[in-house]
Amino acid sequence: MPGASLSRWTLTYFACALVCLLVAESLMVMGFGYPGAAIDAPETLILVHLVAIGWLSLLMCGALFQFVPVLVARPLLGEALPPVALAAILLGLLALLAGFAGLSDLIAVPPEMLPLGGLLLVAGFGAVMLSLGRTLWAARPLALPARFVVVGLAALLGTVLLGETFALVLSGRLGGDMALSLLLNGVPLHALLGLGGWMTFTAMGVSYRLLAMFMLAPETERYSTRLVLAAGTLALVLVAAATPFAMSAGAGLAGLLLAAAATGLLAMGVYASDVVALYRQRKRRNIELNAVAAIGAFAALLASAMLLVALLATGQLQTRIGALTYVFAFGWLGGLGLAKLYKIIAFLTWLECFAPVLGKRQTPRVQDLVDEPRAAPWFGAYYAAVGFATLCLLVDLPTAFRLFVGMQLFATLAIARHFYRSRELLNVPPELRRGFARPHPFLPPARKVP
Amino acid sequence: MSRAEDEDLAGQVREALKLVIDPELGQNVVDLGMIYNVSVTDRCVATISMTTTTRGCPATGFIRQAVEDRAWSVEGIEFVDVQLTYDPPWSPARIAPEIAGLLGR
Repeated sequence: MPGASLSRWTLTYFACALVCLLVAESLMVMGFGYPGAAIDAPETLILVHLVAIGWLSLLMCGALFQFVPVLVARPLLGEALPPVALAAILLGLLALLAGFAGLSDLIAVPPEMLPLGGLLLVAGFGAVMLSLGRTLWAARPLALPARFVVVGLAALLGTVLLGETFALVLSGRLGGDMALSLLLNGVPLHALLGLGGWMTFTAMGVSYRLLAMFMLAPETERYSTRLVLAAGTLALVLVAAATPFAMSAGAGLAGLLLAAAATGLLAMGVYASDVVALYRQRKRRNIELNAVAAIGAFAALLASAMLLVALLATGQLQTRIGALTYVFAFGWLGGLGLAKLYKIIAFLTWLECFAPVLGKRQTPRVQDLVDEPRAAPWFGAYYAAVGFATLCLLVDLPTAFRLFVGMQLFATLAIARHFYRSRELLNVPPELRRGFARPHPFLPPARKVP
Repeated sequence: MSRAEDEDLAGQVREALKLVIDPELGQNVVDLGMIYNVSVTDRCVATISMTTTTRGCPATGFIRQAVEDRAWSVEGIEFVDVQLTYDPPWSPARIAPEIAGLLGR
């Protein structure tokens, strides 16, 4: 039978991801890391990796374990791997953060902590790639959205390998001119492959299918989507191809990155037109909050692209990279994540609690699990806070920045509370939830849901 | 007579399926146009051809099972064969006119 089943560990991934986001936002409110510290200070590296690995990557992995089977209409292969991967990634992240803390003498840890953390991350993400890769490989030929995921996973591989190389150099385990030169020049490649390749490209691919699915838009394979796939892949290949230049401190590095930026911007532009077309062609006129809130994320992606062009044109990219990364990570990736979580948590909870008795007794709709009018303002507050915080970084107002991050933290907490209410069936009318056990907030169901 | 009985039973099965809702749209699968065909032969064998709004949707197995269970519940039905098809794919045009405003205007 074609179809996918419920991914058991996805909600555990989401819960861990949300905790990392809340911790990262709290640290920023307290003035930890950039802009109080330098952009390459260990404190900033702690923040960046807490957000990139803890929040965004765990979110993405949890979502992919559920949605890759939907994309390819086949069950996930290697079902035992998600909990193993989660444990390895969490341990790896902790070791990595401890290693960074050791670099700035916040705590005393042996220098090997960094590469050990990196190794655990390689193992954890390796398990993710193995499980998803096998599932995708078995489903060839792949539809377009799934091909985005393949490219995203390849970028993830590049990201973790570069990261582990840096960790080895920083700990003194790997030496030589080339290794040192890679550490000095290769950080942008690591960041671009991670934020641009792994997260953005994968999110783009999944969004094509999710937007069409939840808004009932036609799922036609557009020529323009092929162009996004080709241009985006080319941009990532250019970034990866810059690695030898970074190792030799070659002159070609800047040129390759500029070419990658141009093709990447082209891919983003065509993607934007595809998204507008999906929203316009939707059959479901009264769209749900997850689709409305996602518009804020698309706006943030557009703002990031425009900011990148403006910074390149004025030669301020180096000095303002923090602001660009902030709006990209929290506005685009984080905003899209929170918006889609609002739907996915309700949908998975419905599957877990009510699907087994469908047709046997009256069941609520997925929409009965959420309270959109009360949740909507918090998404608005979240995006407003991210926007103002970014502006503060652009005009050097560190205290105001912390104030707006505080607002962002408050909005995130309110949205997380809505996730909890939906998960615990607190929005479902009592007569419809009578007789149903409330599921565990974030642990998998005891019995397997088919 | 048996043909009329078969048709009557098919009508009963169709009516029974109205208790199965699509969790996303909140309406029953019959009015949403997801049940392509219901036929009964030999006064006891029901064959149902159905689809879902999205291919690969994780709720598919549950909806199919619910359709099978409901058909079984009709008195006289002894065997149920539910065939899942995506040819032709479901489209909102299949929604019954009575609930056509469901998706908004």
